[in-house]
Amino acid sequence: MTAYALLGAVEHGLMFSLMALGVFLTFRALDFPDLSVDGSFPLGAAVCAVCITKGVNPYAAVAAAGIAGACAGSVTAFLNTKLKILNLLAGILTMIASYSVILRIMGMPNLPLLGYDTIFTPIESLGFAPQTAAIIFSGCAAALTALFLIWFFHTDMGLALRATGDNMKMVRAQGISTDRMIFIGVSASNGLVAVCGGIAAQSLGFADVNMGIGTVVAGLASVIVGEALLSSRSVLRAVAGVILGSMIYRLAIAYALSFQIGEFRFSPGDLNMITAVIVIAALSFPGLRRKVGVGR
Amino acid sequence: MIELVNVRKVFNPKTVNENVAIKGLNLKIDKGEFVAVIGSNGAGKSTMLNLIAGILQPDGGHILAGGRDITALADHSRASFIGSVFQDPLSGTAKSLTIEENMAIALKRGRGRWFRKGVNRKNRQFFAEKLAALGLGLENRLKTNAGLLSGGQRQCLTLLMAVMANPEILLLDEHTAALDPKTAELVMRLTAKLVEEMNLTCLMVTHNMKQAIEYGSRIIMMHGGEVVVDVRGADRQGLKVADLMHMFEKVRGEGLEDDKLLLS
Repeated sequence: MTAYALLGAVEHGLMFSLMALGVFLTFRALDFPDLSVDGSFPLGAAVCAVCITKGVNPYAAVAAAGIAGACAGSVTAFLNTKLKILNLLAGILTMIASYSVILRIMGMPNLPLLGYDTIFTPIESLGFAPQTAAIIFSGCAAALTALFLIWFFHTDMGLALRATGDNMKMVRAQGISTDRMIFIGVSASNGLVAVCGGIAAQSLGFADVNMGIGTVVAGLASVIVGEALLSSRSVLRAVAGVILGSMIYRLAIAYALSFQIGEFRFSPGDLNMITAVIVIAALSFPGLRRKVGVGR
Repeated sequence: MIELVNVRKVFNPKTVNENVAIKGLNLKIDKGEFVAVIGSNGAGKSTMLNLIAGILQPDGGHILAGGRDITALADHSRASFIGSVFQDPLSGTAKSLTIEENMAIALKRGRGRWFRKGVNRKNRQFFAEKLAALGLGLENRLKTNAGLLSGGQRQCLTLLMAVMANPEILLLDEHTAALDPKTAELVMRLTAKLVEEMNLTCLMVTHNMKQAIEYGSRIIMMHGGEVVVDVRGADRQGLKVADLMHMFEKVRGEGLEDDKLLLS
């Protein structure tokens, strides 16, 4: 693996850890398997890209992306809590619908952002290379989001949200509306994923309607790899694990793509299979470790 | 304090599995009463408790608490004045949260939950005092996940949490049935102490007639979704297990061989 590929993996690992933290919020903290993130990621990218081409400040554009994502998330929560649609299906319905919304917003399937100022421009103007600037920005964003989540999970609302993902019966008996917690959690998660989509669009230099495919699986892979490495005994470990997991996941992908035996090489088309294998490995890792007798 | 007026509950209506769990139930419970609810399986005891807690919605009739009609109130909105303990010791606490975090959730019942820190130094001290009174040593394990506690410990914690926010009504749904006899005794003594101290109005479903006689200031027996025996006041004095058994047999009009009553 070249140094360039390694740096790229670090950059993507940090950048996509925001999305992974969003997936962690629903899948783990809330125990809500939310598939709408596959739609809210490109939605965030689209909103951000359109805002930037219309001359909006790039940071404000990212905020707009976050709001759009939170709206998409609240649709999923509404379908699930008020219309009593199964959580998986509610997410899929929002995801499908958001593709149409994205096409309406962009007016075309792909919107290039080349030549516009981005959130990275101020850092680049300090004399950093574009990739270094992206790493600095993503690293700061990931650290801030992680600190925010750790703080949030210890507030009254955060405790109620975590308990909702653990024991709904107890939570309702303690006077907490589980519907409200699902609304808050799923909206916040999709907002975070859309922010990540907005940042990714500016880093890649375009927004594309299909850029969200596989977001959930990549996010889940990061969460699970993090858990296999750090366990999730405390909130701090769990959140740190997600960021670490995101970086390891991107490194594993980069390594796999640089892998070569004789004439055989992986192509980008094999990415989905590689992701599946990583998730399977991470899921079975704790069990395997117990079997060979290595304690936790 | 609690009043059920002509309450009806039907499960699976208009199907072959239709089951009238509660038929036209009228019951008035005064403030400070400790009502022990007995009856065979399927008599409608737990259904009645779930209707009062708001976990189930009635198909007819009204439920009043303190004179106010709460029939349309959601279960989580009723939690500010109703505390519940369930049979399954695992269902009253969140296993992935620490003991103090669970208690912090209980402390905020009926109040807004925003962005204040859930556990602070002041309420941690308060939790430790409450736990110390149990004599289980849990006050030294505030940062232990609730999932690591035994069933009895979790049930004691659930009980503390159920009354922490000063409810007026305490609903106990066979809350000692899943525990070993010694732990059940401990939980039951704690229950009686808390009910006494806080002057709670309490409804306790139990299969244990001895427990019903020992703790209930009023004993009601349910059968087929109705209250068939209601013993209180003067009649309650000197009531023995044998008397209850006799009443029960009369109600059923048959022997008790195949019933799952615990006659301890």
